[in-house]
Amino acid sequence: MGQSQTIRRQAGDELAWRLVLEIIDLNKSYGEVVALRSVSLAVAKGQLLGFLGPNGAGKTTTMRSVFGLVAPDSGDVLWGGKRITPQSRLGFGYMPEERGLYPRMRNHEQVAYFGMLHGMTRAAAEAAATHWLAAFGLVDRAKSRMEELSHGNQQRVQLAAALVHSPQLLVLDEPFSGLDPVGVSAMGEVLAAQARAGTAVIFSSHQLDLVEDLCDDVVIINEGEVVLAGAVRQLRSAAPRRHVQIEVQGAAPGWVDALPAVEIAQRDGDRVRVDVTAQTDLSSLLAAARAAGDVVEFTYEPPSLNEVFLDAVSR
Amino acid sequence: MTRWRTLLLVARRDFVERIKSRAFQISTALTVVLVLAVIIAPRFFDAADDGWRVAVVGEDPGLVSLSMTALQGAVEPIEITALAAPSREQAIELLQSGAVDVAVVADEGVIVDEGTSRALATLAAAAMTSVRLTARAAQLGLTAQQVAQLLAIDEAPVLSLDGAAESDDNGAETLALFTTILLFVSIVTYGQWILIGVIEEKSNRVVEVVVGAVPPRLLLTGKVLGIGLLGLLQLIAIGIVAFVALRATGVASFPATTGVAVAATGFWFLLGFAFYAAAYAAAGALVSRQEEAQNAAFPLTLVLMSAYFIATFSVNGDNPVIRATSLLPPFAPMTMPLRIALGRATPAEVVISSVLMVVGVWLLLQAAARIYRGGILRAGAKIRLNEAWRSSQG
Repeated sequence: MGQSQTIRRQAGDELAWRLVLEIIDLNKSYGEVVALRSVSLAVAKGQLLGFLGPNGAGKTTTMRSVFGLVAPDSGDVLWGGKRITPQSRLGFGYMPEERGLYPRMRNHEQVAYFGMLHGMTRAAAEAAATHWLAAFGLVDRAKSRMEELSHGNQQRVQLAAALVHSPQLLVLDEPFSGLDPVGVSAMGEVLAAQARAGTAVIFSSHQLDLVEDLCDDVVIINEGEVVLAGAVRQLRSAAPRRHVQIEVQGAAPGWVDALPAVEIAQRDGDRVRVDVTAQTDLSSLLAAARAAGDVVEFTYEPPSLNEVFLDAVSR
Repeated sequence: MTRWRTLLLVARRDFVERIKSRAFQISTALTVVLVLAVIIAPRFFDAADDGWRVAVVGEDPGLVSLSMTALQGAVEPIEITALAAPSREQAIELLQSGAVDVAVVADEGVIVDEGTSRALATLAAAAMTSVRLTARAAQLGLTAQQVAQLLAIDEAPVLSLDGAAESDDNGAETLALFTTILLFVSIVTYGQWILIGVIEEKSNRVVEVVVGAVPPRLLLTGKVLGIGLLGLLQLIAIGIVAFVALRATGVASFPATTGVAVAATGFWFLLGFAFYAAAYAAAGALVSRQEEAQNAAFPLTLVLMSAYFIATFSVNGDNPVIRATSLLPPFAPMTMPLRIALGRATPAEVVISSVLMVVGVWLLLQAAARIYRGGILRAGAKIRLNEAWRSSQG
């Protein structure tokens, strides 16, 4: 429970009352292999949470536990503060990593079938199927069979099947994998729109630049443990490193080597990129640069999400 | 309410998707054609033979053919052509050349050759006896009316020690054998559909999405229900075609036990199918690829086959093996209907067997649901039975 409190704090007090999905202290082992070690995370209504981690870190296992596809050894998965029941799962949408629908079913029928399985009436499910197939530009493929579609279009139908019943929680395992750039941007828009409409959205991904653009919050998991969680901007600023890019004209080539507590990352003529700690005194650094020559550029920025991620998983 | 709705949705999908599939339509059509062929073809072969030809020496050929036709006692008797042969030698010559199928020599008897069917020989001998009997009656000075009375004795029925009249036996045995074959083929076929359906859902991972909305037990039950219903309908359709064809061709007469046999077949199909469908679903949940399907189902197929062979080898008489196995769940769906159709099962045996079967189906459904639940979500290598059992205890 302690870890869940941490997450609530990290998520911010204004979010706490809106929290809908809480994964608390989840543990799972397959024989000797520990898949999850005290994994906790929370997703609020209207939040778009990126779930990051290297292959085999436990992302899929965590997501599957929400749908009862994995029986955890210990821990809880709560929805609105209560243990998840088959009934509450009817309000969830899921897109598993290994895509799967009935290959020989016709797309419109298939999407409507999943709507009905989630409790919609036939009429409502068919209307929603029509809506989503149209939204993804698949009107003319409504009567085709799943197996007749291209990979990208199959992915769209899969997403339609996850969205058809207007879920309150959307769990997507690697939704961007296998999509072309157009597909990626369309998928991103759909996810953002879902979150804006009040759906709690959690998705896993390897494409960190995309995650950085799309989500405010991320959870990073490595070897079955949550290693970082919070708002992207906070995580970046909380990183111990900073990048400084300096261009000095007319300086002696080795001016930067004389500086203390500076690690040179890259040299390119007059331009040099150095890594410093977050505590480094910038004014003395700028003063040293000015003393060396004419300062043309001096930029200071926290590491990218990609670097934060790499630091977190290589720790 | 939602549970029922979900169950019906799953059952409906499995039913509708299959009935719409080309494979189902073709296999149904083929089965119908096959059944029709089996029923109608023998008539073609008989007809092609254009009846039996008899060489008659020293007797009125018309009388012999009339007698042979009457003695067949069938609705559409095989046509008899009798021709007079001047001598025994010439009759034998005709027989050897294949111009006739049998020879009847007045003072001697019936002469047969290699190709003569036993039924024809018996028929010819009986006809000769009948002709002699009529001649002797005339010699004794009996009137035509007296002769008719003399001949109007019912054929003596053959009684078996079981108490069942054996007079119907040929028809009853054929019917019993037919229902056993039908039960075996249909349970294996529809069981395979379940097996393939389960593996398909597992191998393309759709089951992971479905299980989010449908508890595994409901998914299993719905699948068994949908495919079972479709199977029953197909069975009824084939049964009707067979019945109509048999009636139209008059190949087989319907013994008194027909109604009982049909009811028993339907009842035991439902129980047998439920039993084996649950088992096939559990077997399918243990593997992830269609190539492994037959491997996974092999033990089941083996049990089904042994039940089938016990049944078919026991058509000619009851024995301890079929009596024992007709009471036990894995075998009863094949062996009990056969005994019922042949009128060999006592009411007590039928009741015991049915109760055990219902209990067996219920127990197996529980066990299968658990194995299914433990198996369907674990893609990859084949899962051992006890692993699937243990992993779904939560």
